[in-house]
Amino acid sequence: MLKIENLHVTVAGREVLKGIDLSVEAGKVHAIMGPNGSGKSTLSYVLAGREGYEITKGRITFMGQDLLAMKPEDRAAAGLFLAFQYPVEIPGVSTTMFLKTAINAVRKKRGEKELDPVAFLKLQKQKLAQLGMDAEMLKRGVNVGFSGGEKKRNEVLQMAMLEPKLMVLDETDSGLDIDALKTVAEGVNAMRSPERSFLVITHYQRLLNYIKPDVVHVLAQGKIQKTGGPELALLLEEKGYAGFYGDGEAA
Amino acid sequence: MQPAPLAAAALPWLADAAGFEKQPAAGWLKALRETGAEQFSQTGLPTQSWEGWQHTSLRQLASIKFHYSAEAATSDAKKLPPKLLEDSDRIVLVNGQYQPHLSAVPAGVTVMGLMEAVDKKVAGLEEHLVSVGDLQASPFKALNTAFVRDGIVLKVESGAEIARPVEILFYNIGAADRAPAVYPRMLYWLEENSALTLLERHAGEGVYLSNSYTGMVLESASRLKFYKFEEESPAAFHFSLVSVRQGKGSVFEGFSYASGGCLAREEYQNQLIDSGILSSISGIYLLKNHQSHDFTVLMDHFEPNGKSVQHFRGVVDGQARAVFQGKIHVRRSAQKTDGNQSSHALLLSPQAEASFKPELEIYADDVKCGHGATSGHLDEAALFYLQSRGIPAVEAKALLIQSFLNTTLEQLSFAPVKEIYQERIRAWLSQ
Repeated sequence: MLKIENLHVTVAGREVLKGIDLSVEAGKVHAIMGPNGSGKSTLSYVLAGREGYEITKGRITFMGQDLLAMKPEDRAAAGLFLAFQYPVEIPGVSTTMFLKTAINAVRKKRGEKELDPVAFLKLQKQKLAQLGMDAEMLKRGVNVGFSGGEKKRNEVLQMAMLEPKLMVLDETDSGLDIDALKTVAEGVNAMRSPERSFLVITHYQRLLNYIKPDVVHVLAQGKIQKTGGPELALLLEEKGYAGFYGDGEAA
Repeated sequence: MQPAPLAAAALPWLADAAGFEKQPAAGWLKALRETGAEQFSQTGLPTQSWEGWQHTSLRQLASIKFHYSAEAATSDAKKLPPKLLEDSDRIVLVNGQYQPHLSAVPAGVTVMGLMEAVDKKVAGLEEHLVSVGDLQASPFKALNTAFVRDGIVLKVESGAEIARPVEILFYNIGAADRAPAVYPRMLYWLEENSALTLLERHAGEGVYLSNSYTGMVLESASRLKFYKFEEESPAAFHFSLVSVRQGKGSVFEGFSYASGGCLAREEYQNQLIDSGILSSISGIYLLKNHQSHDFTVLMDHFEPNGKSVQHFRGVVDGQARAVFQGKIHVRRSAQKTDGNQSSHALLLSPQAEASFKPELEIYADDVKCGHGATSGHLDEAALFYLQSRGIPAVEAKALLIQSFLNTTLEQLSFAPVKEIYQERIRAWLSQ
């Protein structure tokens, strides 16, 4: 589904990713764990197509297409979804209006019929109920005045509505208390299927108690340092990232 | 006194005023016109060295020769744009002249042409018209006064709460070979405890100058909702001065949507002459190409417990320029004044410009006044967020611009007009 080959990325003149190789198969959950500054968020933004990241070497293939040649909106239509670490507040655009615009833009690009208002509201209501969210929230501006937990839940709602194929979760656990974390993880788990894949990017092992990975990678100093099974996450929890710094760089 | 060289520049503007001398008119009216002409001839148009005119150049206006025509102007009803609201009455003026056969008003409201009102000696009219204030400080008002004849008097009788909105359409027709100057003078008069919703639309075709002066009198406890549409022809010049005089406990909710004309200035002077008054004038502007638009507002608080609001937002594209100058003047006796002002612009191109001049002049010691002004570009993080959800860049930009402007529209208490403004914004964005 996703294939990253020898990816080198420079941000503001500094090389942040120094040759990433990663392959995610359909139906699998891959976790990328790493310390602060290891390039985790850079990887997620590069996947989603944010400006300001210079790809100096390497390629990314998504569903057989050259991902790096696609605009962010086309990546979304092709089935890539990034759940933001810091969801952006957009005052003046109601969440409902935002969801409707997004879902119909994506459907249009996928060659599907746009949803009429009735069908849209029905779908929205159903997804809200699944996530235990209050419909009142949808009338407010996108993420405006939302708590940390509400913002993350809103990300999962968008994910559920857009039905992507690959979900990149960027530090989805940050700023969440344990109850919010459980709800968000349940929302994510409800979407697991043999056709869908996940790339779970996190600093802590905690989230992986709720979203069980098939494969765990350790990202440090811009490179995948180690790949293993779920037991690797537990090992990191116990011993920390100290072993992955090499060259005497401080943790 | 302004320097003398300007005076010569004033003369072409007054050439057509001589024609008035032959027309029969009351002595006081003739004297008023002469005062306007005389005052204007001493200053001419303001230059950028004038206080309050630093950001708006009139060079473009001075390069065209405009003509005033006393002849009857009219238009085919079919040529006029449709009403803004289905459920409303409309008053039509063509090139500043009232068109009774195209106009209707609800019960409780009377409207007549300015000269008809003068002939009928409408009580208080003469006193209102001659109280023009300092004409030398306001050359456009002086010029309007030199030509005082067109326009309307609209009155809402005491205690009448008019539910049906009234639209006033100012439609201007510019001939290719002879660009008209129109000088309508209006009086909107709300007697005690009355209420009215007005939609004032300015539109037209070709090259022309619309230089209007509107006096609004809100007697005690009256309420006026005033929603303007400045949608002049792309080649037109629009200068309007609105002077609002508010009595005790009155409420003025003013809003202007500005997207027309090549060069425009809307000036509002609100006088809160008694206590417990609410006065607001807010607006949005959508400018592109070489358009230039200027909002200049004065909120003048005379007495205690007044509240004034000015919230302006706009988007500026191409090589367009936006100007906002807002002043809150709180006199010594105006204790407990609450004055608020904000101005925010989104610049969509590197050549677009926005200039703001917020001013507070406060002589009372127990007041709450605030202002804020920003100009900037579209939020890249928000744009990427929308795109990452599949919304194409063009649509995402439009959505962000709409959301930026909606913040200002949300304050409007009359929902149907809010929807029209939103439609206008959508149409502008899809051009």
